[in-house]
Amino acid sequence: MFTIFRFTFREAFTRKVLLVSLIMAAVFLGLYWTGVYYAVKDIEKAHNQLLASVIYPQLLLFGLYFGSFIVSFLTILSTAGIISSEVESGVIQAVIPKPIRRSEIVLGKFLGQGVFLAAYAALLFASIYAIIYTKTGIRPAGSGEAALLFSLQPLVLMSVTFLLSTLTTTVASGTVAFMLYSVAMVGGFIEQIGGIINNLSLKNAGILSSLIMPVDSLYRKIVYVLIPPASNPISAVQQMGPFGSSAEPSVWMITYSILYVLAFLCLSLHYFARKDI
Amino acid sequence: MSLAIQTNDLTKYYGSHVGCRQIDLSVSRGQIFGFLGPNGAGKSTFVKMLVGLIKPTSGSASLLGAGLGNIESRKKIGYLPENFSYHEWLTGRQLLDFHASLYKMDRGTRFRRIPLVMDLVGVSGAAGKKVRTYSKGMRQRLGLACALLPDPDLLFLDEPTSALDPLGRREVREILVGLRERGKTIFLNSHLLSEVEMICDRVAFIRDGSIIAQGDPGEMGADRMVVELQLENITGGLLDKIKSSARIISSGGNTVRVAVKNKEEIPALAEAVVSGGGRLYRMAHEKVSLEEIFISLLKEGD
Repeated sequence: MFTIFRFTFREAFTRKVLLVSLIMAAVFLGLYWTGVYYAVKDIEKAHNQLLASVIYPQLLLFGLYFGSFIVSFLTILSTAGIISSEVESGVIQAVIPKPIRRSEIVLGKFLGQGVFLAAYAALLFASIYAIIYTKTGIRPAGSGEAALLFSLQPLVLMSVTFLLSTLTTTVASGTVAFMLYSVAMVGGFIEQIGGIINNLSLKNAGILSSLIMPVDSLYRKIVYVLIPPASNPISAVQQMGPFGSSAEPSVWMITYSILYVLAFLCLSLHYFARKDI
Repeated sequence: MSLAIQTNDLTKYYGSHVGCRQIDLSVSRGQIFGFLGPNGAGKSTFVKMLVGLIKPTSGSASLLGAGLGNIESRKKIGYLPENFSYHEWLTGRQLLDFHASLYKMDRGTRFRRIPLVMDLVGVSGAAGKKVRTYSKGMRQRLGLACALLPDPDLLFLDEPTSALDPLGRREVREILVGLRERGKTIFLNSHLLSEVEMICDRVAFIRDGSIIAQGDPGEMGADRMVVELQLENITGGLLDKIKSSARIISSGGNTVRVAVKNKEEIPALAEAVVSGGGRLYRMAHEKVSLEEIFISLLKEGD
């Protein structure tokens, strides 16, 4: 398993999608830094502490929301073909007959890809956090927990995409994974609006989408971890808008997300063990 | 002699479509075994079942005395797939190092085996180049090097010379014969019947997923003969007469080629030609080539 793990981790660095994601991340971080720089400059000039306490956390959330989008983009594009592309090209035909179990191939690839994506997400989180800290001086508590949750996001999306790659073609698995990700994003917005206007149907629709794909709930949990309502009298204002979180996802949603990853890993193991190549 | 491969009723269905049906096959150690059949006959399905790429629907098999999927026995099995494809971003040496690690070889063994097999298949000069820069022939040689890495006791080769020029084919034949001399067993899937005939100790023919004949290629040819007839007045009636005493392989112009089971059937064939109104100018018999056996067996099933 360690051979496949090491190989997958190494292979991840050779893919073009990594280069694209790095360029995207660099462009994003550059724009983000510029935006934060000028926003902070204007707010400091106005000496408006109230405005700063509302806007600065919003800037952090904005960065994390779109950072999470970039990580998801890399996750789907780099995982969609993790099994299927090797089946399609025939590369795997020379690997399976070797003295290794199929489960070792799945576990090695899953862990190699998972560690790579989690590390990428953690680095992006650290970059966004560093920009906010150096420019605004705010240092939200719970950054370690938030970084872990931020790194869990790609693992959730990866687990589904991994199973799809085991079952179907690269194009099909990428397409379905993007659709599921879209469901999560739209569901997250709907739930946020439902929370603001206190509409139960909208909230339930959001919860259902979170059960199908819990990526957005993890993001909303990160928001709550970084900006806990009890710590700040104006947190209700901070939590308004598309990047906030009108209701805190329970700890069960984190448990559910972890079980979700494990369940899809088990399904991948199950189906790959029976797959005819 | 102990068996390298033994299968009992090995069967694979893809839904209602038959891949292989009740294959019983025994291959002794130290042999080169040729597995022949037309496209879609089930050759690759059979090999893929043996190397663990496809799960059999029913039946059983053992390789080197162990059941299918046995991890320890796989350490002594090499496989070159028909559609050889490898990680293109690696160099030839890195690729072999990866495969060596899959074989769980220690560093010393890798250090010794990798240059040895690269040299053996003739890709040492490109060891440091990316696989993506290799020609198709070089890739096939590299695939063969991967299969030879563990110094396998049992080697499965699916069309191992399909991308090679005549010189390359000869080199591969020499490698295979050399391996046999060292007691290795080689299971060879190939369309190149002349090649198979040159090196195989035993062959089996598969058609529509079932084995229709197997044996020593020499012996299989010995009980069959091809007779070439130079004739005039070839009519439908004459051909029917010939069919009553032999099986027609081909007919065109004034030449009819037929297969008979043995020499003793030749006089009866001549009588049939004459009684059918044919004017016989020449009659020559020859030993049946593997290709003739192959075609003849395929026609028998039609």
